[in-house]
Amino acid sequence: MTQATPVLKISHLQKRFGKFNALTDIDFAIYPGEVFGFIGPNGAGKSTTIRILLGLLKANGGTATIFGQDVWQHSVAIHQRLAYVPGDVNLWPNLSGGEIIDLLLKLNGDQHTAKTDALIKAFSLDPRKKARTYSKGNRQKVALIAAFSTDADFYIFDEPTSGLDPLNEQLFQTQVLQLKQAGKSVLLSSHILSEVEKMCDRIGIIREGTIVETGTLADMRHLTRTTIDVQTVQSLAHVAELPGVHGLTVKAGQNHVSFAVDADQLTAVMQYLSAQQLVAITSTPPTLEDLFMRYYTAATPDRK
Amino acid sequence: MLKSLVARTGILCRLNLKRDGLKLLIWMVGLAGLFTAIAAKFEGIYGTQTALNTIAKTLKTPAMVSLFGEFTAKMPYTTATIFATEMVVFMAIMMIIMNIMIAVAATRGEEDTGVLELVRAHTVGRLAPLLATAIELTSLNFIIGLLFGAGLQLAQLPGANTTGNWLIGMGLAASGWLFGMLTLCLAQIATTASETTMLSYAIFGGSYVARMVTDVQHPKLTWWVPFGWIEKLDAYQTNRWLPVVCMLLLGLGCLIGAALMSYQRDLGAGLIAPKQGRLRASASLMGPTTLLLRQLRGTLSAWVIGSAVLGAAYGSIFNTIGDLAKSNPMIKQLLGTSALVAANRLIVKQFIAVLAIVLVVVALIPAIQIMLKLVSDEQKGILHQLYATATSRWHVWASYTGVAVVTAGIVLLAGVGGMYAAGHAVMTTPVVWTTYRQVWLAYLPAMLVMVAAASVLVGWVPKWRYLAWGWTFYGFLSLYLGRLIDLPKWARQLTPLGFVNQVPVHALDWSTNWWCLGLTVLLLGLASWGYRRRDLAQ
Repeated sequence: MTQATPVLKISHLQKRFGKFNALTDIDFAIYPGEVFGFIGPNGAGKSTTIRILLGLLKANGGTATIFGQDVWQHSVAIHQRLAYVPGDVNLWPNLSGGEIIDLLLKLNGDQHTAKTDALIKAFSLDPRKKARTYSKGNRQKVALIAAFSTDADFYIFDEPTSGLDPLNEQLFQTQVLQLKQAGKSVLLSSHILSEVEKMCDRIGIIREGTIVETGTLADMRHLTRTTIDVQTVQSLAHVAELPGVHGLTVKAGQNHVSFAVDADQLTAVMQYLSAQQLVAITSTPPTLEDLFMRYYTAATPDRK
Repeated sequence: MLKSLVARTGILCRLNLKRDGLKLLIWMVGLAGLFTAIAAKFEGIYGTQTALNTIAKTLKTPAMVSLFGEFTAKMPYTTATIFATEMVVFMAIMMIIMNIMIAVAATRGEEDTGVLELVRAHTVGRLAPLLATAIELTSLNFIIGLLFGAGLQLAQLPGANTTGNWLIGMGLAASGWLFGMLTLCLAQIATTASETTMLSYAIFGGSYVARMVTDVQHPKLTWWVPFGWIEKLDAYQTNRWLPVVCMLLLGLGCLIGAALMSYQRDLGAGLIAPKQGRLRASASLMGPTTLLLRQLRGTLSAWVIGSAVLGAAYGSIFNTIGDLAKSNPMIKQLLGTSALVAANRLIVKQFIAVLAIVLVVVALIPAIQIMLKLVSDEQKGILHQLYATATSRWHVWASYTGVAVVTAGIVLLAGVGGMYAAGHAVMTTPVVWTTYRQVWLAYLPAMLVMVAAASVLVGWVPKWRYLAWGWTFYGFLSLYLGRLIDLPKWARQLTPLGFVNQVPVHALDWSTNWWCLGLTVLLLGLASWGYRRRDLAQ
């Protein structure tokens, strides 16, 4: 992890809508050159957090700063160096895509450049169509092209690929990697876990308005279980009694089983297994999806 | 075949009722209450024969004919015949506005938001949504018509009879219904809700002007204008049902036309093909203000042209109005030429004072609309794109407010200018431009207060923004009908428009102007403060 000053710093952020506590405790930071994955179930507070960062909503407690400046007080100065793509892109219905891209660039003091043209071509957008006739995916392309041709330091993407086809999704990922190489910071909120797994340096998991976990994927894997499918010469009848072993299923007789094991007990379990004379073994590291499921299905605290 | 086309219309009707229920109820109670209250009050205002004769004389003047239609009541005048003359055109306007608003929202509105797509994906007939809206409008108009009739029965105006009461009720219902059906038809031709609204109001405005011109110059020709049929009921006298039949037949024709077009066309498309847009933004598109103007340029020019045409139509009858000698040749000898010219001019000025109210309301509508667009654009999520760039809240708020304020001024100027131009062309001794400028100067500050108040609602309580429409509507009602229904002064002064003292008959009062401008500045300061500190819609 870089020890530079963070681009984004959020601490104890809170937001209430009437009696409903949308955000109870949001805490994370993003450093320069980092792609941060922001994941959580629907309604967990991802978009609310992002809207506070954009100065659209005013927080009820805690602090949030971008480039060291308060997101509510200095929103205009911050936005000068920021680009944002929402999940649900709504555009001015009687303007063409080309006009909107140019307008969004101008509003940040940027210009329509050769890069913009290249992006329009790469995303295969017809810029002459009126925004009202665009499909969801095409509206997203308009916002993405404007964001990628903006020369910003911090990029916020809120489920940006939910309407894109796989080809354009690929293109999105390449573009984000280019931003990363150029030392820019990215906040990526997404439900497409493969995308997050592939691109993000660190991940924050939000549930019910609270950040429940942050760290690199590797860090998080230590917190969770590896699935092991093993076949041995000697009987495996006593595997279930070892500490840290869960969900044992017998595959074929006593010699072929599969189970999950806690990361901290892995060494002990492996020693036991090799003592039983291995025939075949496959170990699957936990996927983000496993992590996700584990956090989401946990008991829900009362939010009221 | 037919059955499958209209499958599940019943369910859609219930759904519409759930969606529009409150809106329909407010319209019903509001219109029926207003109508009945005025009817009940009428006997008190026009109870004596002298009062009736005086008002009859006023209503016969071309100025009043242009506002309320041809005066057809015969001697001896009764409270009921006066009521029938004064009220039908005004109530018909209200009925038509209601029908256009509801019809647009239920057809193109649902299509624009994509709700219709969701509905049509189920086992719902191709024509069912249209039919459900038609049924909704028909029931609404019929019920209001019944309430009108019942209200008149209750009011028991002297000279009224049962047939006349129900004729007025059903006549108003039919004229509203006709424009509702026409709007359904236009909704198939246009491509969006706002286009449909614009087309509907263009036709409505055109018919209003046409009936006014024919009423003043050749009342028989009013039969050719569907909006004019409502004046031909001749209630409490010959009680003619023919106009009602005409309205029903034409309305039915519109409905059939709408159904045929709706059957043919694609979902989301219209007969007017959308044009291709620009490849790149023009240099002039560079910030919130130019963005707003770019979006509104079509609508704004339509309002300016419409207002100018309306003003010109009024101006074109100034020679008929301002000619006392025409109605009474003796008067010229009695007064002498110069005194006659002065008397004529005073009549025209009085007329201008009354008409100014119509032009003011016409200019207020787009101004308030733009002000409230700040909230609707926010709720559609369009503004989020803007706020993610280096654009401040203040800048966006100021753009919308500024454009609204300027629109109010320009649309009113177009109306007053149109009136001046046409009046200048037809009159032998025209009223000078200064007079018209006074009208503009007198009303503008009062209008700005109303726009600023709408801005406060937008900044602090966006949920309650429709109150701005209620206030505008009340302003129109209290000024258009206020004197005729003997509304007390304090009630007329519930809107700042009520403080403008009949300019140009009386002189322009700068003290009113100054406090109006001061109040405007205060309200705008309050509004911008509120808008900068509140949360934007999710």
